[in-house]
Amino acid sequence: MRSSNLTKTITIALMGAISMVLMLLNFPLPLLPAYLKIDFSEVPVLLAALLFSPIAGVAVEAIKNLLYLIFTGAGDPVGVVANFLAGMMFVLPVAYFYHKFKASKRTLVSGLATGTVVMAIGMGLLNYFVILPLYIMFAGYPSMGPEAKWLAVTAGIVPFNLIKGIIIAIVFVPLFAKLKPWFAKRKRSGSTAA
Amino acid sequence: MNNLLIVGQYVPTNSIVHRMDPRVKMLIIFFYVIFIFFANNVISYGLFTLFALGSTILTKVPRRFIAKGLTPVWFLIVFTFILHLFVTREGFVLFHVFGLPIYSGALEQGAVISLRFFLLILLTSLLTLTTTPIEITDAVESLLGPLRRFKFPVHELALMMSISLRFIPTLLQETEKISNAQASRGVDFRTGPFRERVRAVIPLLVPLFVSAFKRAEELAMAMEARGYRGGEGRTKLRELRVVKRDVAALVCFIVITAAALITRDYS
Repeated sequence: MRSSNLTKTITIALMGAISMVLMLLNFPLPLLPAYLKIDFSEVPVLLAALLFSPIAGVAVEAIKNLLYLIFTGAGDPVGVVANFLAGMMFVLPVAYFYHKFKASKRTLVSGLATGTVVMAIGMGLLNYFVILPLYIMFAGYPSMGPEAKWLAVTAGIVPFNLIKGIIIAIVFVPLFAKLKPWFAKRKRSGSTAA
Repeated sequence: MNNLLIVGQYVPTNSIVHRMDPRVKMLIIFFYVIFIFFANNVISYGLFTLFALGSTILTKVPRRFIAKGLTPVWFLIVFTFILHLFVTREGFVLFHVFGLPIYSGALEQGAVISLRFFLLILLTSLLTLTTTPIEITDAVESLLGPLRRFKFPVHELALMMSISLRFIPTLLQETEKISNAQASRGVDFRTGPFRERVRAVIPLLVPLFVSAFKRAEELAMAMEARGYRGGEGRTKLRELRVVKRDVAALVCFIVITAAALITRDYS
């Protein structure tokens, strides 16, 4: 019992490390502002959330962002918090769908679609009401009017998060299909050995 | 980037700041970030600047490392300044640039806000320059200790953090090895339509995850074999202890902050 618990803890730690490495291999999207960057760091988070539990996903996301903060020297704490919240909004609906309904490819895809929409709308609202005002305070930018914020949200943040969700889904669905049987087999043989 | 990941930004000079208790460093930075927003005149800003520059000198970290830590934000600081210069319209017109009037208030406000921004980044970057990631993890564990009462798994979080820190260089190496191996089998990461390029990540990620799962099992077994049984009653190789220099630093910080709070304008 404990052994599987410790293995889980360590696996979460390693997923966090992979996630952080993937976060550094980011790339900007054409046509969108350069500070919005896409990376695959959400993939290990999803994996942990689906294989173990939603809480495990939260842990991986937290470790990723803490590591990022430590390694890059806390230049942008608001961005790190925003990344954490975006990840949560994306991953938790997927995990909820997957654990609640019959685990199939269709559940996974609808979960990913829901997660993408939740993340896009949630980040839009969060940016409009919290993050952009915080950046304005932190960097002392002259305050943006509602029109400027609205433009930033509808032209930048919402489409960005939609594209990000779709790209991660394109990678994650076939990846999970490949890994799941392997993992299931391993789990079975592990329990008989223990 | 490899270098960044192996040591972070840590520059070992064994200065007095390096030897400080990481918890004290983090607390000072935390309160500095809050209280600098209260500064509003020359004296209070001067005091906070003095504290940040004084700490920077005490770290004995060569200037180029400090500058390197600041590079990503230099642009932001300059951008903030220029933005203020053209947007703020207070005070009197000083001169014209490209036909646009520059106001005295804009110059002042731009300078003040860029200075605040600069000081914030400078002081927070000192933490990672003078503290190893492992020390930071220890400090986080200790500072979050009270949360244990609310069943927050503080020890597990710290354990996961230190394991992650240990394996980041290993995983990075592995990523490189796998991507070379897949490239030699003909996987193309660079060209082709966007969708194809995105999909090319999959053969990179599958072996990475598989080996991570295997590694986790091996490590768990090794830890159990050596008698690991959770955080209860576990002892530490490096104990964090607050000593004289930490108290001195705290007193310094409190005196300067208090002085700044007294001298700021209240009108």
